[in-house]
Amino acid sequence: MSVVLGRDLTKVYSLNGRQVAALRGVSLTIAAGEYLAITGPSGSGKSTLLQLLGGLDSPSSGRLELMGRAVEGLSDDELTDLRLRQVGFVFQRFHLMPVLTARENVELPLAEAGVGRRERGQRAAELLAYVGLADRSDHRATQLSGGEMQRVAIARALANRPALILADEPTGELDAATGAQILALFDQLHRDGVTLVVVTHDEHLAARVPRRVHLQDGRIDRDELATAR
Amino acid sequence: MSPFGVLALLSWLLPTAPTFQQLPGIAIERRLADRHGLSVGDTVLLTPKPDRPAARYLVEAVYQPKADPATALRGEYQIRFHLPELARLLDAPDRVDRIAVRGRPGVPPDSTAFRLNQPAFGYRAYPSELIAAESSRTFAVVSRFHRAIGVISIVASAVFLLCIMLLKVEERRLDAAVMRLIGISRATVFRAFVLEATFVAAVGSVLGVGLAAVAGALTNWVYRRRFETSLVFSHLSVEIVAFGVGLSLLLGVAVGALAARRLVTARPLALWRRAG
Repeated sequence: MSVVLGRDLTKVYSLNGRQVAALRGVSLTIAAGEYLAITGPSGSGKSTLLQLLGGLDSPSSGRLELMGRAVEGLSDDELTDLRLRQVGFVFQRFHLMPVLTARENVELPLAEAGVGRRERGQRAAELLAYVGLADRSDHRATQLSGGEMQRVAIARALANRPALILADEPTGELDAATGAQILALFDQLHRDGVTLVVVTHDEHLAARVPRRVHLQDGRIDRDELATAR
Repeated sequence: MSPFGVLALLSWLLPTAPTFQQLPGIAIERRLADRHGLSVGDTVLLTPKPDRPAARYLVEAVYQPKADPATALRGEYQIRFHLPELARLLDAPDRVDRIAVRGRPGVPPDSTAFRLNQPAFGYRAYPSELIAAESSRTFAVVSRFHRAIGVISIVASAVFLLCIMLLKVEERRLDAAVMRLIGISRATVFRAFVLEATFVAAVGSVLGVGLAAVAGALTNWVYRRRFETSLVFSHLSVEIVAFGVGLSLLLGVAVGALAARRLVTARPLALWRRAG
């Protein structure tokens, strides 16, 4: 089953009265359980594609289905619900809620999804254990290191068992050693069947991902599968 | 009727050595006793004017007069005389400024005053309630001014809170954007910010009430010492606290809602870009 099915996607922005095409006919299919890196130079359309895949924006033309559901015509509330239940986001700068603890940050999307207090506590504990932070669950986000914050962000992204995890430069703010730990965690997620899409400039990261989609000037320049790791 | 007359203004008061003679007795108020170190059994020389001969009196009682805002600030002391002694001291046996008439229980003061005024010659009778209302009119006006100042202060604080919340919204734009990106609904984000504003307003109210209590206590302490009275100069009533807290909470919620609305009406991506 396809988690993402995009056909001839275009996205045109109006900038100072001028039409700027960020995506020019991108077609992309992502199957469940795939681990995909989207690479390309600045301005190639990586972020725009990520926004479309995450239900944050609608394409100007083309057809996009997320988990078999057409994105066009969905209301803002429907897109919000789609992001809550079907998509997990991992940001470059983690973006945890600073006043909440690690556990509360993970519980946030669960609470929004209507999961009961006891169940979300258990789920948050499981996820924090999964990312190796069982002993840091009661620490506030501000008390965690960069690597720990990113792990919490990954746990938060996994909270509602989404069909797709989108990560935007997930190692961009981390040192090499910590970045490697996060990549190892992504590998683990992939082995556990999670569908992962990572947008990155990091060649080291891209090199270890099974499928690499390279964008250039709003078009897919290369879509290649790694032959060996 | 009280057997004591009242001399409101005392010009001269001289403590003297006690004697074995039978002296006319007086009652002096506590402040005066404290000021001059007088106690029951002491004798004093009193004169209504410095150029008039003084008469000796025995202090028979020290009393605590009921605090009266109309007289407390004048810096006067009261001495109670038996009426004939007062008349003798003043050399005016047929002149009295005020007489208090106490009616039997159940006798309406209005009708008593009316009856006393029927044959009136050289005096005018009023029900004590009317005198109290008249003498406290100034204070009622002052009280209304204070209430108005309080309301203005709270409204001004609300404007300040609005500014804080709007600044906070700017600070929290990124948090709101992230919440919206990860699928938190507008309603939840809105509630979170309104709740935060309510919390800020509630904490502000509690601090405000605490500050008012401290300021009130300080005011009372200073002015009671200054005017040697038990009068309450500053009173923080339950009604005032309820009014202040209620108004500030109401304004806090309104301000929070206004600030939060700015956040939730923006599309998540627009919010994200502006925050970025």
